[in-house]
Amino acid sequence: MGSTISSLIGAAERGDGSAAEALFAALYSELHRVAKRELARQGVPVSLGATTLLHEAYLDMAARDGPSFPDRARFMGYAARVMRGLIIDHARNRRAQKRGGKFEITSLGTEAGENVADDRELTRISEALDELAKVDASLAEVVDLKFFCGFSFAEIAAMRAISERTVQRRWEKARIYLHRSIRAQLSS
Amino acid sequence: MSTLSPDQWQAVSPYLDQALALPEEERPAWLASLREQNPALAGHLQTLLEEHRALSEERFLEQSPLPLPAEPGLAGQTIGAYTLVSLLGQGGMGSVWLAERSDGRFQRQAAVKFLSIALAGGGGAERFKREGSILGRLAHPHIAELVDAGVTPAGQPYLVLEHVEGEHIDRFCDQRRLDVEARVRLFLDVLAAVAHAHANLIVHRDIKPSNVLVRNDGQVKLLDFGIAKLLEGEGQAGAATLLTREGGGALTPEYAAPEQITGGAVTTATDVYSLGVLLYQLLTGQHPAGSGPHSTADLVKAIVDTEPLRVSDVAASKTADAESATTNAASRATTPDKLCRSLRGDLDTIVAKALKKNPQERYASVTALADDLGRYLRHEPIAARPDTLGYRAAKFVRRNRTAVTLAALAFLATVAGLVGTITQARTARAQRDFAFRQLSRAEAINDLNSFLLSDAAPSGKPFTVDDLLTRAEHIVERQPGEDTSRVELLIAIGRQYTVQDEYAKARRLLEEAYRLSRALPERSTRAVASCALAQTLSRVGETGRAEALFQEGIDTLSGGPLLAVDRVFCLERGSEIARNRGDAKNAIARAQAAQRLLQQSPFKSELLELDTLIALAGSYSFAGQQREASAAFEAAAARLTSLGRDDTQRAGTVFNNWGVALILAGQPLQAERVLRRAIAIGRDRQSEETVSPMLLVNYARVLHDLGRFDEASDYAERGYAKAQTAGDEAPMDQALLLRASIYRSQGDLDRAARMLSEVEPRLRRTLPDGHIAFGSLALQQALNAQAAGDLPAALDLSNQAVTIGEASVKAGRQGAAYLPIFLVRRSDIERQVHRTDEAAADAARAVSLLQAAAQPGTSSSNLGRAYLALGRALQAESKLDEARAGFRSAAEQLQSTLGPDHPDSRSARQFAAEVSTRQ
Repeated sequence: MGSTISSLIGAAERGDGSAAEALFAALYSELHRVAKRELARQGVPVSLGATTLLHEAYLDMAARDGPSFPDRARFMGYAARVMRGLIIDHARNRRAQKRGGKFEITSLGTEAGENVADDRELTRISEALDELAKVDASLAEVVDLKFFCGFSFAEIAAMRAISERTVQRRWEKARIYLHRSIRAQLSS
Repeated sequence: MSTLSPDQWQAVSPYLDQALALPEEERPAWLASLREQNPALAGHLQTLLEEHRALSEERFLEQSPLPLPAEPGLAGQTIGAYTLVSLLGQGGMGSVWLAERSDGRFQRQAAVKFLSIALAGGGGAERFKREGSILGRLAHPHIAELVDAGVTPAGQPYLVLEHVEGEHIDRFCDQRRLDVEARVRLFLDVLAAVAHAHANLIVHRDIKPSNVLVRNDGQVKLLDFGIAKLLEGEGQAGAATLLTREGGGALTPEYAAPEQITGGAVTTATDVYSLGVLLYQLLTGQHPAGSGPHSTADLVKAIVDTEPLRVSDVAASKTADAESATTNAASRATTPDKLCRSLRGDLDTIVAKALKKNPQERYASVTALADDLGRYLRHEPIAARPDTLGYRAAKFVRRNRTAVTLAALAFLATVAGLVGTITQARTARAQRDFAFRQLSRAEAINDLNSFLLSDAAPSGKPFTVDDLLTRAEHIVERQPGEDTSRVELLIAIGRQYTVQDEYAKARRLLEEAYRLSRALPERSTRAVASCALAQTLSRVGETGRAEALFQEGIDTLSGGPLLAVDRVFCLERGSEIARNRGDAKNAIARAQAAQRLLQQSPFKSELLELDTLIALAGSYSFAGQQREASAAFEAAAARLTSLGRDDTQRAGTVFNNWGVALILAGQPLQAERVLRRAIAIGRDRQSEETVSPMLLVNYARVLHDLGRFDEASDYAERGYAKAQTAGDEAPMDQALLLRASIYRSQGDLDRAARMLSEVEPRLRRTLPDGHIAFGSLALQQALNAQAAGDLPAALDLSNQAVTIGEASVKAGRQGAAYLPIFLVRRSDIERQVHRTDEAAADAARAVSLLQAAAQPGTSSSNLGRAYLALGRALQAESKLDEARAGFRSAAEQLQSTLGPDHPDSRSARQFAAEVSTRQ
């Protein structure tokens, strides 16, 4: 499995579209599997942070694949994108069921969330993000990492070897774009 | 309202960058100036910026798309003794929660950090908790306390930490515009914390500004000590962990030392490097790798390969743009030029030394770095700089103008060519050399200690001094060269083994040190090697060779006042060697000589004085000069307290020797108290009982004296077993003799005899003829014979004992303390065979000997027993008045030294009463 992901990443980066899709599918199922396993391990279905989930998944795959597995920074770029899909699916799931369903992915990165976005809102954000990614991929990535995965500015700065201030600026610009984009969506 | 097209976006994007970089109040002005150049663009940007303000108020995208868990919510959840209150944030290793004690006991809040690691199955949780408890031992005002480490029932590891509210140190300094000196002072607090951790054998491994917080009141707090190691212990291993660490996100190697990147050993020098980077940033506002953001690859190359710019050059903006140079200087309350000047020179050198690629070239310890920074602050010459005359003079001038003027005049006078001055100059240089030698010895050992503090100590296990010494040995072995420092290191380790009573190991190292030292030119090292080895040899019974080595050592040092400290060392060892050979006269003489030397020396050392005092006290006691011995022990104990060292190994030694002196002086009750304290000191310091075997035997002896036979037996056996393991001959001999007494007192004559037959060949093998131990042996055999009813044999053996004792006294050896006891025992036997004249004579002689030696006004159980024997002898001769006087004196002495309930005290009272009623 691991080597498949390595080669998929390589192929995707060389512009192979179908490889990219296969990559996301593989990562998706991997993350899903890890999430279920972690929750099962914890016994009571308590909570599982998005970052923890990504971390566990990375450890798993890296351990299986060994040194040729891409480094964490590259991994996170793709995994964060996949995480987005996972979260939206989960939100969809949640709306479909009355209670928390088979498992809860929770975020430990923000204040008390009374108004959690539902899956329709998230889908809108996701579509806007896809647009943004075509215009400026680095901005979209920050949103994936920060909003969907819950990484902090500092962690993202470290991952991408840029200053925290740069990350913050990208985040603000992305927000401007997305906000405009979503309002346009809603009004159309 | 429409979406921005890609082209539109490309157009505005760079301007957005600019605008967002400005604080909000400055944006209108910026917009205004842009409007003059390009009104359409400005308009567009204004709209976007307004939207930005709106979405910020809306908190757009600031809430997580995921819900917090319904129940049980983490807030309100109990973790150990704490209840979680609210989330503080997401760290690199997991989430951090504010918490308070569930029982509301303490006001203080804590931070609970959940670690996003998976504990290895099986012993993982145990190991984690144990590691945590090791880290928890760190207690220092500048270290955020680790309160607890645990694992939730769900398997989630967590740490409970002191909650620190503060800013990262770099931001703190910049916000308050602290100048260079203030930053250095703050940095010294950081160093104090790290040094404390190193002294507790914990390396931080992850020092960076976000781990160094400064509270509003200016107090520094270091976070996450050793946690990097805790994390590394679980799961991944190796240097790879450094660059791809658990908990999400790649770890930047910004603060990593070269050896961490290349996979070398992590030691205290690693922390020194990270501290160097931190200092670099505090002083310049830049990373040693240069300005601007760096990719991981760039950083790695810079750290491993490239020498950083001098801090003064960075301040002078030799490369970076002028604007940031001005900003940096402003944050340090100065201008770029002034900053450059204040950094140039010593700080350049200090920072450079901390950042050396090769760990061996850096400051060997955090303390060394702190010392140099301290010297910098006091305008003293720093250690890291070569001692050129001009440099030193410049420093000196700054410090003390008046003194310099006088010295200059004196110098001018000497130039006039007086003969005396040449000698003075030579002496000054020799003095300096001597001081350097002492210092290098100390430094070499400090370096060694620093080396020892690498993280190779087995995690989770409380390591022993022995473990440290073993690895110290390996380190020294690996070092090339056979020069002075190697020899000195071997001696240092060997001596430490001696202190630990590990004589086999000590001997091996000290023999090697001695062998190597023969080829060295330094007299000091040769002499110290001889005497250190001599001391160990005398303890394992090779007293002949020990004495010879001591003589060789002391002869090497003859002439020249500068070797006084080494002479004191040798004389002290010589005193002990003399004692072990039974040579009381020389034991005292050498100790006194050492004391005199110390008093005359210009180099003061309280510890050395204390050691000499202890040696002298022991020698007096050994020679039976109880009065002088007591005085010396009291002085030593008082000195210990004033030095704040009355719970250390040295204190244990003092109390042990004092206890023995008290035993010999016939004050067992007091001896028991003192020895009990000595044992307590040994027990407190380590987790297991590692009290010296001799101490155990001594304690057994006094317990036996007090009639507590079962306890005495227990201690004697333990002391014997311990001594056997350590290969320590003297306590084994003593234990055997003592156990013979105990068994006899318990009525087990067979065992008693067996002990004696075991000890006799040992004594013959290791001790010179006529050593007082043979007298003790003979006496024990006599007492056995007496108990078995074989009075003729008993008498014969007791005669032997007395003969040996008398010869020993005549030869100026140790006999004086023992002869009276032999006489008393013989008197007892003589009385039993109806030789009452001789019985009385012996007892009377014992009494007079003891009275002469005793401190006026003090009692002695030996004297009491002598009186008792005298009383009984006189009674047998029908001299009843004198007998009663004797018994009364006996009762008086025995009651106060053995306690009124002791069988001997009661006997004395009984006899006194009997004689009275008879009349």
